[in-house]
Amino acid sequence: MNLTTALARLLIFPGVLFAVPAAWFFLWVERKSVALMQGRIGPPFMQPFYDFIKLLGKTMPPRSGVGGLLMKAWPLLAVSAAAGAVGLLPVLPSSGGFEGDLILLLALLEVPSMCIIAAGFSSRSIFGEIGSAREAVLSVSYNVVFLLAIVSIAASQHTFRLEALAQLQGSPLKWLGIVAILVCLPAKLHLNPFSLPNAEQEIYSGPMTEYAGPELAMWELSHGLEWVAATGLVATLVAPHLSAWWLAALVFVAISFAVVLLLSALAAATARMAIDTTVRFYWQCTLIFAVLAISSALFMRYRS
Amino acid sequence: MNILSMLWRNLWGGSRTMLFPARPKVGKGFRGMVRFDPALCTGCAICRFRCTARAIEFKSAKGEFTWSYDPGQCTFCGRCVEGCKTHALSQDAECPPVYLTIGDLKRSYTVARKPPAPKPAPVVLPAAGRQAADTSPGGPR
Repeated sequence: MNLTTALARLLIFPGVLFAVPAAWFFLWVERKSVALMQGRIGPPFMQPFYDFIKLLGKTMPPRSGVGGLLMKAWPLLAVSAAAGAVGLLPVLPSSGGFEGDLILLLALLEVPSMCIIAAGFSSRSIFGEIGSAREAVLSVSYNVVFLLAIVSIAASQHTFRLEALAQLQGSPLKWLGIVAILVCLPAKLHLNPFSLPNAEQEIYSGPMTEYAGPELAMWELSHGLEWVAATGLVATLVAPHLSAWWLAALVFVAISFAVVLLLSALAAATARMAIDTTVRFYWQCTLIFAVLAISSALFMRYRS
Repeated sequence: MNILSMLWRNLWGGSRTMLFPARPKVGKGFRGMVRFDPALCTGCAICRFRCTARAIEFKSAKGEFTWSYDPGQCTFCGRCVEGCKTHALSQDAECPPVYLTIGDLKRSYTVARKPPAPKPAPVVLPAAGRQAADTSPGGPR
């Protein structure tokens, strides 16, 4: 991958130019589909964009010192990391990539979550701190399953290149990994039944409680980009290998859309679980997926 | 699985959100706006005392009183109606109307105080009857 291709991927498709409107679109699809499933009208198509613009136009509360600087820095870092993660997705056929880009993708996907934890504690609000503590506990719980799923797929293929993994033909291990990722996505995207860090009826918006104006707009954007990156990761693993670039892009968007609908249906159908139940659920999942994934990865490795 | 079938029905059944000016149907015991009947009111102001939302104002003047009610502040709890001994207050069994300006629905009534009811004449018992009452077991000793 040369510099031009890398920049085009990062800035155009599937990078910023695609990812930002896609983030607003996915946020709208999630809100609208949950509303329809609950018998409500839901927001108009442009609502996430209007929200973003309106928040950008608001004045921020004055913040001084290192705490204030950190509170400004966390949302920007989260947006950059999420946009970078979307840019790394191997959507187009033979789009290059480099050895170990899967590890970078996983790291970038984790940065927004860490920023949320840090932001809650930086805000010095009791609701923010509770939300951050919940996010930290949740992150430790679901990430074991998430990382195990992806790393076991990678280990069975002897590579950490995303493109090679995307071209992996339908093996049981790949589908096991996809199921494991799908189980983790509601927690990663703070959706019901794992919407503990931003449980609005209990702790307002959790770590976001003290945020307003452009900083909050950046958090919203980062959340939308996380949607694109997380659903895009599933889409790249599920999508069949296609040689026509436009067809590959279309299939990527269609599968991402289907995943958004699936997660929205889950969010509409369930209520929030308690933190101990959630942690227990993920650790039980971890045990099951660990046994299945490691045994099948070892089996595939020795067979090949 | 029941919840999934419900979601599926909702998804294709359209929204239940009503657009203005449609109003939802309400049940029989619905607590709507408070109505005031000046003819029955004695001006005791117990309704103002019971109103925690401060929707009812009461101003007393010489020979009259002013009773005001602002539905914009009312929580429709019905405690004023419950406490009105003379049944001068009642509640509509329908949704309050939509209003566009603050205080649009506010109503004020100035009511002339009724002259106090004449004191009932003391009951005079006949002498024989009074004697019997004094000697009875529950009577004065």
